[in-house]
Amino acid sequence: MIPILGLIVGIIVGLFLPFEIPQAYASYVAIGILACLDSVFGGVRSKITDKFHFSIFISGFFGNAILAIILTYIGDRLGISIHMAAIVVFGSRLFQNFAFIRRFILNKFQKQDMI
Amino acid sequence: MKNSKNAQVAIAFICMLLGIMISMQFKTIRKQQVTVVQKQRADELSLELKRVLEEKEVLMTKLLDNQKKLRDYEEAVSQNSSSFTIIKKELEEARILAGLSDVEGPGVTVTLNDNKVGIQQNATIDPNTFLIHDDDIMAVINELNAAGAEAVSLNNQRLIATSAVRCVGPVVSVNQTRVAAPFQISAIGDPDALEAALRLPGGVIDYLAPWGIEISIKKSEKILIPKYEQPLQFKRAITVYKKEG
Repeated sequence: MIPILGLIVGIIVGLFLPFEIPQAYASYVAIGILACLDSVFGGVRSKITDKFHFSIFISGFFGNAILAIILTYIGDRLGISIHMAAIVVFGSRLFQNFAFIRRFILNKFQKQDMI
Repeated sequence: MKNSKNAQVAIAFICMLLGIMISMQFKTIRKQQVTVVQKQRADELSLELKRVLEEKEVLMTKLLDNQKKLRDYEEAVSQNSSSFTIIKKELEEARILAGLSDVEGPGVTVTLNDNKVGIQQNATIDPNTFLIHDDDIMAVINELNAAGAEAVSLNNQRLIATSAVRCVGPVVSVNQTRVAAPFQISAIGDPDALEAALRLPGGVIDYLAPWGIEISIKKSEKILIPKYEQPLQFKRAITVYKKEG
């Protein structure tokens, strides 16, 4: 419940922040968003399997985001879209984690139904 | 239990970051769409195409006109009295072309002014960076001529074939007359075409704007361009008549 609240608060804060991101950095923010999504799904997955470690979660988030942004920067400089690597990895992991969460929740409901 | 609480707070924190980034990105992208460059480019190109098609139309009518004129001449050779009026009309056109008569018509007025704010704020930088130079004016004039301007003047000095625009100290000399900023370049021609030519992406405006030079383009239905005032002197150029045979 708290995460959804956090998301809503974040959207409202972002909408009312007075400054804007320059267009040149739009691709970096996009990568950042992807890293965020990846971390959220990864975190939810580890939480429901009781494997959640605070330090791993936070370091994973910042590490992944920074690496992805560096890749984007290098890609921009070299004229090759290296950030595609980050997009592919984050994207595929996102779906994997989502599939896991989906199955977990479905199993839970089915068990309840059986009772 | 504590671990679970920790997890919820951590995920909530990342979710908040996610929310901030998504909404800010949303704002940026929405702003981008207002001034979407590609659409602007497409509009500009379609305008250009329209202009070119119109130009072709005009050229076509001109061709027909010239053919008719040729016929008129041939006719006039036999009827001596009407040849005089035709030659007079021809002279009128030649005068407009040479800039020897006041002309009036639709067109644009481009006003260029120095970047005064830049000069005041950056005392350490060479003020020349913020001033308008002869080549800036020439670029605008060139673009206007390329877009089909029929008569061009700079601060009411008619520009003719032998006109020179150059920097003389802090001012600009044109037709041996000194003019200073703000520079007003008037051109008679199709106002839309002239403005479009100046505003072409990567064109003159884009070239001058980064220097902070104040540019304003005003379309007008009626612009008066005065004639060339200085005496015309041809001391060395002599017309060559092609010898036949």
